[in-house]
Amino acid sequence: MRGKKSQVTRYAYISVASFVLIMVLWEAFCRLGFIEPIFLPSPSQIFSRALKMYDQGTLFLHVIASTRRVMVGFMVSSLVAIPVGLFLGSSRFFKAIFDPVISLLRPLPSMSWIPISLLWLGISETQKYSIVFMGSFAPSLLYIIESTRNIDPILIRAAENLGATKRDVIKEVILPGAMPQIIAGLKVMLGIAWTCIISAELVAAQEGLGFLIMNAKEYFQTDTIFLGMLLISLTVIIIDVTFRRIEGRLLPWTR
Amino acid sequence: MKRLGFTKIAKAILVAMITLIFLIPSVYATDKPEKITVVYGGSSWLGHYPAWVGMEKGTFKKRGLGVLFQRFYASSGRMGALVAGDLDFASTGSISGIALMASGIKTFYAFGTQDSYATVEGIVAKEEIKSIKDLKGKKLAVTFASSAHVLALDILEQNGLEPVKDVMLINLKVSEMPAAFKTGEVDACALWTPMFNKLLRMKGAHLLLDDTQFSLFKKYGLGPGPDLLVVRKEFIEKYPNTTKAFLEGYFEAVELLKNSPKECAEVLVKLTNLTMEEQMGVLKDIQWYGFAKQRELMDKPGSFVEGMQKLADFLVKHKQIDKAPAVKEWVNTAILK
Repeated sequence: MRGKKSQVTRYAYISVASFVLIMVLWEAFCRLGFIEPIFLPSPSQIFSRALKMYDQGTLFLHVIASTRRVMVGFMVSSLVAIPVGLFLGSSRFFKAIFDPVISLLRPLPSMSWIPISLLWLGISETQKYSIVFMGSFAPSLLYIIESTRNIDPILIRAAENLGATKRDVIKEVILPGAMPQIIAGLKVMLGIAWTCIISAELVAAQEGLGFLIMNAKEYFQTDTIFLGMLLISLTVIIIDVTFRRIEGRLLPWTR
Repeated sequence: MKRLGFTKIAKAILVAMITLIFLIPSVYATDKPEKITVVYGGSSWLGHYPAWVGMEKGTFKKRGLGVLFQRFYASSGRMGALVAGDLDFASTGSISGIALMASGIKTFYAFGTQDSYATVEGIVAKEEIKSIKDLKGKKLAVTFASSAHVLALDILEQNGLEPVKDVMLINLKVSEMPAAFKTGEVDACALWTPMFNKLLRMKGAHLLLDDTQFSLFKKYGLGPGPDLLVVRKEFIEKYPNTTKAFLEGYFEAVELLKNSPKECAEVLVKLTNLTMEEQMGVLKDIQWYGFAKQRELMDKPGSFVEGMQKLADFLVKHKQIDKAPAVKEWVNTAILK
């Protein structure tokens, strides 16, 4: 046990050391003038941009705006995808009916929904939520269908033999059985939902990390672009850690 | 002796002829473009009319040049492509040019400005909005980081209004504005030609103001985003003859625009999708600057560059860029000799 712990600590040290080394090399590479800052700003330049934005009070404004958009779009997408996915995963007949539609929706990038969403929803916040929703719904749905179909059919048959109705089977067998996989899938989908933020904030956005990146592009402020990218990654990491904690509480047997 | 003399003369003639054969094309070749295709970054904006007219009217072709007209939606994309080495020449909105200068990149030169325009950019509003003050509490669509954005910021400041607090600025592409205006999601739009003219034709729309109200226009005759001609530094060093040929062809097209606007409008409608009447209307409002005027504007005394410097200071004041670049450092008029 102690040996395992020390091994974990060792790997943590390796990760920290490699990160520090990359940062030092990156900084040195930029300071020695090997590359123009417009193509690759130094870490210190990105950091000073973050400080400046913090002083102006705009740094967290962007993070909060994007997090809100992603979380609303993703939650609605999950709330629809989970029951529909469970239902389609447990019924071959209905899955056959919806398969063509899902197959058509699945490859569409979130960006392709912008013109339609503008026509349907205008330039409101709902339009931005809808971009995240459409970008994450089809992959979430497919993941949940697959998770449902991975349940051992013997368990389903056993429940049915004991007189369980279709609804009981979904509620008592499929849902608890598929839940660990669904939650693991949703964590991946949350990452996918964050990739939609640039598309979501491309139109009529005044704040948000996607807006920050795209607006900085117009002024060739590469340090701000990198900062926006870094903030997306950090926010996703923080949400992922939070998600893991919730998962640990909801599903203690998966720990 | 006589035979020897004849042989010598024959040899001398032969040598002279061979030398001539090699000399004539080499003298000719010194003016020949080293590169026959120039990649130009453009769009349907009026600043690109000379390049388009030059292509359509053959002013480049007769100098042995082919021009590839690459379209970009925004100046920033065009300038990014220039820095990446994918474009040779471009015309850019000066805001992007200044922003790129502010980033410290030195791989391009500004060498001229082809036009001065007014009344082709402005704020179009709903009929009930009669003055700028009426914009208070309303939604104004602008494309962030564009000349129309600068115009909007300036106009609001002149009228004691603050963006966000008093007027909600909605970041929209010009092409998305008519739909947002029609559905009532925005109350006014700050935009430029050709969409400016199209929006003005819409029912319930009227012109609130145009770019002649811009503070720097009032003082210096400078619009919110004057056009700037730029070239890749490496290109002019490597291909001086191509540069010369391109500039000759380009400014010949400028002269055509000055002297035969109707003839030019006929080819420009293919670029802008405006009607002939609208196209003539746009051309009427443009003052074209020919080759002879360039050095005066850019160098001696360089009033245009002075104005650009004021615009850079304006952008810093409105927190659009961090620091104002010394615009003069990017100006190169040597290629205009």
